[in-house]
Amino acid sequence: MTNHWNDLQHTDCALIIGANPAENHVISFRWLTKARENGGKIISVDPRFTRTSSQADVYASLRSGTDIPFVGGMIKYALDNNLIHKEYVANYTNASFIVKEGYEFKDGLFSGYDEAKRSYDKTKWALESNPDGTPVKDMTLEHPRSVFQLMKKHYSRYDVDTVTAVTGTPKEDYLNVCKTFCATGKAGKSGTIMYAMGATQHTVGSQNVRIYAILQLLLGNIGIPGGGINAMRGESNVQGSTDFGLLYDNLTGYLASPKATVPEHATLAGYLAKETPVSGYWSNKPKFVVSLLKAWYGSNATKDNEFGYHFLPKGNKNYSHINLFKTMYDGGLDGAFFFGTNPVVGGPNAGKEKEALGKLKWLVAIDLWETESSAFWQKAAGSNPADIKTEVFLLPASASFEKEGSISNSSRWMQYRWKAIDSRGEARPDLDIIHELATKLKKLYAGSSKSADKPFLALDWNYGTGDVPDIDLVAKEINGYDLTTGKLLPGFGALKDDGTTSSGNWIYSGFYPEEGKNKSKNRDNKDTGGHHYLNWSFAWPMNRRIIYNRASADANGNPWSKEKAVIWWDSLQNKWVGNDVPDFKADTAPAAPGGTGAFMMNKDGVALLFAPTLNDGPFPEHYEPYESPMPNAFSSQEINPAITLFEGDFNKRGFKSDYPIVATTYRVSEHWQSGTMTRNQEWLSELAGHMFVEISEELAKEKGIKNKDKIVVTSARGEIEAYAMVTKRYKPFKVRGKQVHQIGMPWHFGFKGYATGATANRLTPHIGDANTMIPEYKAFLCDVRRA
Amino acid sequence: MTKYMKYVDVTKCDGCRACMVACKNWNDLPADPQDFQGSVQSHPKVSADTWNVMQYIEHENGKGDLEYLFRHSACFHCTDAACEKVCPENAISYTKYGTVVIDHDKCVGCGYCVQNCPFEVISLKEYVDKNGDKYRKSQKCTMCTDRLEEGLQPACVTTCHTGSLEFGEETAMLKKAEQRVQEIKGRFPNAQVYNPQGVGGTHTIYVLAEKPSVYGLPENPKVPTSAVVWKDYAQPIGKMMLGATTMALVGAFVTNNIISRKNKDQDGGQGHE
Amino acid sequence: MVEINLNRRQFLKLSGATAVTLAVVELGFNEKKAYAQSKGFKIAKATVTPTICCFCGVGCGILVHTKDNTVVYTEGDPDNPINEGKLCSKGTTLRQLYTSEKRLTKPLYRAPGSDKWVEKDWNWMLDTIAKRTKETRDASFVETENGITVNKTEKIASLGGAALDNEETYLLSKLMRGLGVTYLEHQARI
Repeated sequence: MTNHWNDLQHTDCALIIGANPAENHVISFRWLTKARENGGKIISVDPRFTRTSSQADVYASLRSGTDIPFVGGMIKYALDNNLIHKEYVANYTNASFIVKEGYEFKDGLFSGYDEAKRSYDKTKWALESNPDGTPVKDMTLEHPRSVFQLMKKHYSRYDVDTVTAVTGTPKEDYLNVCKTFCATGKAGKSGTIMYAMGATQHTVGSQNVRIYAILQLLLGNIGIPGGGINAMRGESNVQGSTDFGLLYDNLTGYLASPKATVPEHATLAGYLAKETPVSGYWSNKPKFVVSLLKAWYGSNATKDNEFGYHFLPKGNKNYSHINLFKTMYDGGLDGAFFFGTNPVVGGPNAGKEKEALGKLKWLVAIDLWETESSAFWQKAAGSNPADIKTEVFLLPASASFEKEGSISNSSRWMQYRWKAIDSRGEARPDLDIIHELATKLKKLYAGSSKSADKPFLALDWNYGTGDVPDIDLVAKEINGYDLTTGKLLPGFGALKDDGTTSSGNWIYSGFYPEEGKNKSKNRDNKDTGGHHYLNWSFAWPMNRRIIYNRASADANGNPWSKEKAVIWWDSLQNKWVGNDVPDFKADTAPAAPGGTGAFMMNKDGVALLFAPTLNDGPFPEHYEPYESPMPNAFSSQEINPAITLFEGDFNKRGFKSDYPIVATTYRVSEHWQSGTMTRNQEWLSELAGHMFVEISEELAKEKGIKNKDKIVVTSARGEIEAYAMVTKRYKPFKVRGKQVHQIGMPWHFGFKGYATGATANRLTPHIGDANTMIPEYKAFLCDVRRA
Repeated sequence: MTKYMKYVDVTKCDGCRACMVACKNWNDLPADPQDFQGSVQSHPKVSADTWNVMQYIEHENGKGDLEYLFRHSACFHCTDAACEKVCPENAISYTKYGTVVIDHDKCVGCGYCVQNCPFEVISLKEYVDKNGDKYRKSQKCTMCTDRLEEGLQPACVTTCHTGSLEFGEETAMLKKAEQRVQEIKGRFPNAQVYNPQGVGGTHTIYVLAEKPSVYGLPENPKVPTSAVVWKDYAQPIGKMMLGATTMALVGAFVTNNIISRKNKDQDGGQGHE
Repeated sequence: MVEINLNRRQFLKLSGATAVTLAVVELGFNEKKAYAQSKGFKIAKATVTPTICCFCGVGCGILVHTKDNTVVYTEGDPDNPINEGKLCSKGTTLRQLYTSEKRLTKPLYRAPGSDKWVEKDWNWMLDTIAKRTKETRDASFVETENGITVNKTEKIASLGGAALDNEETYLLSKLMRGLGVTYLEHQARI
């Protein structure tokens, strides 16, 4: 989230798309309800009329997988009707930048496409620069190769009739959405876009989010109260675990993992040169990387050994979820650790993921419960135990309140949890388990002189002398030290690239600036202004609550409006002041060099309407889902040309001839993710105890299905049986003149716990987004029949 | 003595059901799993172990637009409570807060309260004691009277995030309800306060988005005349004549013959769907 | 049939009770506090500890009431500005994460080809896991690739961690990378 939960109350309009917060991020509706009481409007865009829709002022349906046409049309509407915030766009985005000659977009393909590799040469999307490296600009935005004009041209094809014919949205509803949301382009008004996995779990997931950002930038909605682009996180600490690099491609703090396939990464100097931009805040990257290496390798990280850079693993491929399971399925993995994860229910094409687990030699599962994944070898899973040679270790883990530590919510607020009670039975905190495993491994490797063992032996692992690690030492290591004085660092501004500072995660540096002052424990809930509660917990970076808040003021440093002021330039004090911590260098005057670079993390200090960094194009473009009932109306490219296709039986693809119905998955209020945590609780299982599939009255009639009937849903990957929930809240779509049905189902169920039921992910495909490899759970084809 | 009431604005409710589990959590009620109901709704109605139930209704309004309506349903805590009137053991009483509670030490599980409740929000449950003997008790929402005594609000109200549920002083809640109806008339032309006078008003009042019948509520519930006759005339006389122990039998005769919950027309209920 | 909770009945003694209005909302939580109230009241003399909900990414504050080595009640933390004491159904029932009879209470081991779990002690489990980790790592470790130092094992995967504490994710990230693990993934995608 660029903004935060409490800030939602300041919005004049919340566009909720690809999310259902009334059911899945329930407490957000406390603040949205407040916004409505203040006169704000809520728009719900969803294939299904949800409980969020029931609370909305405007509801518009759309067929799953058509967000880009939907929002592309809104961009065109805003441009055509002159509703954009032009001064903001000119100053704070790359609208004025000139794209080099040679860039083109033709029939769904951007320049530089290599069909054999299914990838683009992104150098064909370069921007013109002056000899000093600064971008060539046309502040009038009239240059035919300016980003603004190219964007205008790109979305000129997204007219209301074409858009609504593809999305299936009734035209009147669509225009109502355009009108209501684009009214926030005025200074003094703000609109927020709230999204979740309904946006991202598509083969165009990254571009879905990109197009929301483009719309928000055009309307001047980023950096202001009640504005922003707000990803609602599904897990309590998926924000933190991403920040801390539990993903193959990022070390902590979004520092790229070094790769064996990038020749420059052969040395630290080469890596830093390659990965560090010349301008913008990321130009400080060497300080963050070297300080991380010092935190991880301690005194074994020296200038002479490139601060231990070579101890880090260098991968040569994409190691994300789908690829990981493909490798496991093909027998390429021997061992796996599962920290509170349950892919046999939660993974795409889950039947294949279950089979893959049987190829492991050993599996360690750390959980509060026996899950479908740790029990994959059992008869109840459809397995024959005798055939499965995998050794399984199941370790009981403590619940969140049986231990202490901090987590970071969607707003980036790092809040501390205190221990309320000793762990149930012999359960232990994950921290202790990880620590003891590390300690035992250290002992096993101790004294080895093998070069292969050196990287692990070099790992600095000192968290106290007791049986359990001292969590405070871990917290302080994350914050970082001045290694010369031994004192804690006040923030990442103090980091150095010469090995004299350490920080385990630079973006968190400053949360523990002095002994005894862990700010995640801050519990002063007085409103410090703007409902930012600056003394409650700690928000990274540097306790900033609204990211990009420099954009709340104009180029001269004056707020665009009194109503939406956050920070402003105080010429008497010569600094930025306001009710939030400036997301800007506090003493850089508006007139000073870089003084208008409101998006200071980016090179050139501007936000990117044109993003030459994505794998599937600098502008979001519509492609149909991997499995779609319709040909693409916008070009002859049916599916995203840059996605990776898998051959063989790991991922069978279905077509509309056999599977004419669009399906999607979602969550219910009472269950959480794969249901492990909630289906093992009696009260929640009682409230949502049955696997169901929601279908429209029209489809039910066609198929002879009555409410509460048992039905079978089939896809190219498998079939499941569940109850039919016949509802008025799904309506067939009229798509390009034809009727298209869509159904939906929760993905929480499995064979363990109090509430059991068929696993929806038996149906979903193994196909991922072109940038993130997020699986396309939210749009696939199926058929239904009575059981 | 100040009277209090629970205010339920169904138009602010987003159906999250925290109120249902907060009730179970506070009152240590066991799970009571049901068959699939054909909608998101978990239970057809309240039960002995489930004192409030969230109703989910798909309603097409006068304009043909779909409204997805929710209602937190529980005991109304009537001012003139039929259950209190018919209880042969005086196990049901009014508290100083205006709530209606069952004293389980006195309840003999005869079920007359269940039979006579115009809202069908009391339930009977059979239990087994340590010796294996069966006994029955009536159960319903207590409005967390134990919490009220400690100065805490009912558990359901405490957890409600939208402001759909509030608990407060009677006149303030009534005023709030009237104002809210005026605010939402544009969106919900049939919006109304539900505080039926046939039972003397209730200590749970609703702001409904639609007519009561849409929610399966009686439009004009009344304390059954027969219950008044029983409580105010027959029972005192009967007790004098027969002694308390035989009253249950007499009660059964009186209530089952004179009062029929199913016979709504006679007892003032109508339009109950 | 469920045995009726006799304790509950004691709470229904209404006549003449005086409100001891030491409401939860009036407590501050700079430290854990036990607070005394009228006898028999469910959360009387319970210890109250603030926590943050373990489910979605909103980050609501929750108060955990513990007494006699169990969790007797969980409710919203009125001091937390994010939720101001309010919760959804999942947050409200946090208590059952402790009380559920389905909680794992002992380490369990399943041998190859076996059809059942066997209870094992922690030490044996962690020793064996460490051994397996080392065996796999040592057999698969790659030091260089095309002349570049790569120091990795592509035979071990680590998945999950989106519900761990920050300190835990940090140590896990550090340990796995320290071992050279490249198949490192959590729930951000799923």
